Amino acid sequence: MLHPVPGSTGAAPPLLSLEDFTVAFAQGAGRTRVVHGIDLTLQRGEALGIVGESGCGKSVTWLAALRLLGKRAVTTGRVLLNGRDLSGFSERELADVRGGRIGLIFQDPTSCLNPILRIGTQIGEALRLHRGLTGKAAEREALRLLDRVGIADAPRRLRQHAHELSGGMNQRVMIAIALAGEPDVLVADEPTTALDATIQAQILDLIRDIRRDTGMGLVLISHDLGVIADLCDRVAVMYAGRVVETAATQDLLGSPRHPYTRGLLAALPSLEGPRVRLTPVGGTVPSPDAMPPGCAFAPRCAYAEAHCGNGIPVLQPAGTGHLSACRRLDALMGEWQRQAAREAGRHDPVVQDLDWPNRDRQRELSA
Amino acid sequence: MTGFILRRLAQLIPVLLIASFAIWAMIFAVPGGPVGMMVGENATPEEIAAATRKLGLDRPIPVQYFNWLTHAVTGDFGQSLHSRDPVTKLIGERLPATLQLALVSILVALVIGIPVAITGAVKEGSWVDRLLNGWNALALGVPTFWLGILLILLFSVELRWLPSASRYVPLWEDPNQALRSLILPGLTLGLYVSGILARFLKASLVSEARADYVRTARAKGVSERQIVGHHIMQNALLPFITIVGLMVANFIGGAVVTEAVFTYPGLGRLLIQAISTRDYPLIQGCIVVILVIYMAISLIVDILYAVIDPRIEYR
Amino acid sequence: MTVQEGVLTKRRRRPLPPLGFIISLGFLTVVIFGAVFANVLPIDPLAQNIVDSLKPPSGSHWFGTDELGRDIMARVIFGARTSLVTAAGAVIIAALIGVPIGLVAGYFGGWRDTVLMRFIDVLLALPNILLAMALIAVLGRSQTAALIAVGVAGVPSFARIARAQVLTLRQLDFVSAVRGFGCSSSYIMFRTILPNILSPLMVQVIVLSSVAILLEAALAFLGVGVPPPTPSWGEMLRTGKSYLYEAPYYAVLPGLVLTLTILSFDTIGKQMSRALDPRSGGGTPGELERAGP
Repeated sequence: MLHPVPGSTGAAPPLLSLEDFTVAFAQGAGRTRVVHGIDLTLQRGEALGIVGESGCGKSVTWLAALRLLGKRAVTTGRVLLNGRDLSGFSERELADVRGGRIGLIFQDPTSCLNPILRIGTQIGEALRLHRGLTGKAAEREALRLLDRVGIADAPRRLRQHAHELSGGMNQRVMIAIALAGEPDVLVADEPTTALDATIQAQILDLIRDIRRDTGMGLVLISHDLGVIADLCDRVAVMYAGRVVETAATQDLLGSPRHPYTRGLLAALPSLEGPRVRLTPVGGTVPSPDAMPPGCAFAPRCAYAEAHCGNGIPVLQPAGTGHLSACRRLDALMGEWQRQAAREAGRHDPVVQDLDWPNRDRQRELSA
Repeated sequence: MTGFILRRLAQLIPVLLIASFAIWAMIFAVPGGPVGMMVGENATPEEIAAATRKLGLDRPIPVQYFNWLTHAVTGDFGQSLHSRDPVTKLIGERLPATLQLALVSILVALVIGIPVAITGAVKEGSWVDRLLNGWNALALGVPTFWLGILLILLFSVELRWLPSASRYVPLWEDPNQALRSLILPGLTLGLYVSGILARFLKASLVSEARADYVRTARAKGVSERQIVGHHIMQNALLPFITIVGLMVANFIGGAVVTEAVFTYPGLGRLLIQAISTRDYPLIQGCIVVILVIYMAISLIVDILYAVIDPRIEYR
Repeated sequence: MTVQEGVLTKRRRRPLPPLGFIISLGFLTVVIFGAVFANVLPIDPLAQNIVDSLKPPSGSHWFGTDELGRDIMARVIFGARTSLVTAAGAVIIAALIGVPIGLVAGYFGGWRDTVLMRFIDVLLALPNILLAMALIAVLGRSQTAALIAVGVAGVPSFARIARAQVLTLRQLDFVSAVRGFGCSSSYIMFRTILPNILSPLMVQVIVLSSVAILLEAALAFLGVGVPPPTPSWGEMLRTGKSYLYEAPYYAVLPGLVLTLTILSFDTIGKQMSRALDPRSGGGTPGELERAGP
């Protein structure tokens, strides 16, 4: 390894890290860049949340890192798995990584399963590829996996097809397939978005359980900060193809240091009446081929000033292990601290909602 | 399952009834009607009266049709006006020849069509894909009879490798001779069918390749080769089955013309001969046989589809 | 890094029609011109000159001569007329029968739909060349018979397309609005719906023209189409096939003109349907119906 990875000097390399990673899509003669130089690290056993509105590049980043987007997606930068760069991997080596070292689950589980193959066959395929199991041994292991992901009546389910199972069950099957290769990390791309709220909570609980048992790392991609807060140790907020803020979960929720993150937090629906001021972020994510100059968030930002349009803000320290990419970071931090002090004793819109697990449970109950 | 097959059969009955009625009614188009057909145009009134009674033409129309139908169901279409042989016998002699041609053509169509479809789908948008699209447009657009003539010119007239007129030699008696006779017609018909096959299979493959489960397979670490050959192909074959009926129709039409090009003694040429000599019982027999074969294949394909696709409930 | 660097915008330009489309249009113009002005041209497709029989292409006979010494090029030009007239007549018949069937079946639904579509199923029960042959067996061999036979074989595709279009249009607001005014069903069908489905029907006209030309030629090739001595492409291929050793050009050249005509119609039809629905890959709906030699 030529460059030491930030934050890991001297120690073992992080499990997974992206360094100045970009993704562009070939379009006609030109290319449209959708992810602009991202740096992220995931330590062994860590749970990292990636949050942002749809179109911010959060899924594309991870799919492209594992080369799952086909030839139209062109990437630069490095994707390191245990310090080895995936971009140098052959298709064969990469196939061993996918499903073997890194398991993936996606948004719409029913359409993610092959409609004409039995569930057992699809789990068996992963077992054969990554553990060399076939026949009876594979069937036994598949049964154990289905059992592990909480599917009752596993022997019968093995012989069924995806359309005979509910969406929640299919997501459990997807998790079983991902677990089949005993991966070091699970990348979950909006795993609960297509599911009912009660099922959502069950799937999240399942992922939490599995992580507790196996110590598997997690990259949870979601537009829902609530879901991420529930499971993740650390959060990276993405906007328009860049990481705009990253911090430990409690830190990020307690003292957000980027106007966009504050907007996302404020936009979270509350079930407890009008106690929380709702200041949703107006406007929409700029399209990749019509990016504003300077800070991409500036046109929607309540705090933007003229100089925000000059040059793209870089991530800078905003606390311990806390980074934020805002050109007005210093000024705003002061302003927010004064505001917090004023509202202390009364009601603070952000701090009040820090009781995340509790809050989420209420949401589930009401759903 | 049985219920599903019975229901599909029941749907076919009205079509079969109307079609068979239309086919039966053809005999009234002969100059002099069915009687003239029997006794010739210069018959005496006594002969005509006798023939009328013999043919049952003095009975009501529905009874006449019903009589014909009951005979037809048992495979009795009467005698050829020309050779005076039973129609069933004539058809029975020609059917194996056509089936043999069908076998070779289907083989050619599969051997050419499937690789073309897969290559086009895998390399979608590339120059290879465009080349193969052009090839398909030619396979579909060039009339079989002209293609057949070109093949004869090349392989029989110029190179003198193969006979220009094909005989029917049963494959199991003399495979060598049989194949020599079948290569050119088989290629002519097979190329045409391969065009349809490749076009639809490719479309089907391309749309399946975009499906979410393909990404899952990749994320599982399945190799690209297996993804195409196993996951995508199996799913793509399903919608493809639904156009098999259409292919069979094309195939039968193409077979009639191909047999004419290579003077191959199959069912198609028998029908052409029957039409040019206005041999109505023979025409009726040929058309009914083709109709039944076509419908039977469509039915089998439907049932197959229901059996293969786990999502279809046929109860 | 500046933003501009990351964004390489592309300019949208209206795409030129592909080269194949332009060539096809040019070729068809020549064929149609020949067919229309065949009488005016200084050529005679029937003039026999036995001494000059089966002569290869030359300055005086560009396509050579046939077994009776007739000029093959003259016969190809007059054959274009036979072919195009038969095809045009057939397409008109197919549209006149098929479109109303599709309109009524789609508009009313219910038992009318069932009965009409069963009738269409019967027509589809035979591959279209066999249907045409069966009709000719009944009608006797003549140009009119060929025209009717090919036309009837084209009825199902018009009926199906019209029906499918009506089914989608029927739900739309402007149709319900017209119905709300108390207009009669036939007024709605022919004055409101029909004008709105003309473009897909026009594509079908082109597609079916190609099918009709092919079918007419196939019937003539089988010896059941337009009877001689009327020049027809299929008939020329049929006779030319007997002289493959002596005069290969006899079958090759008329076949080439026939093939190019068919491919041109296909190309234009594909381009039209692509213009109509950019999402479709240009696969014409008629291709599904295309059953023939």
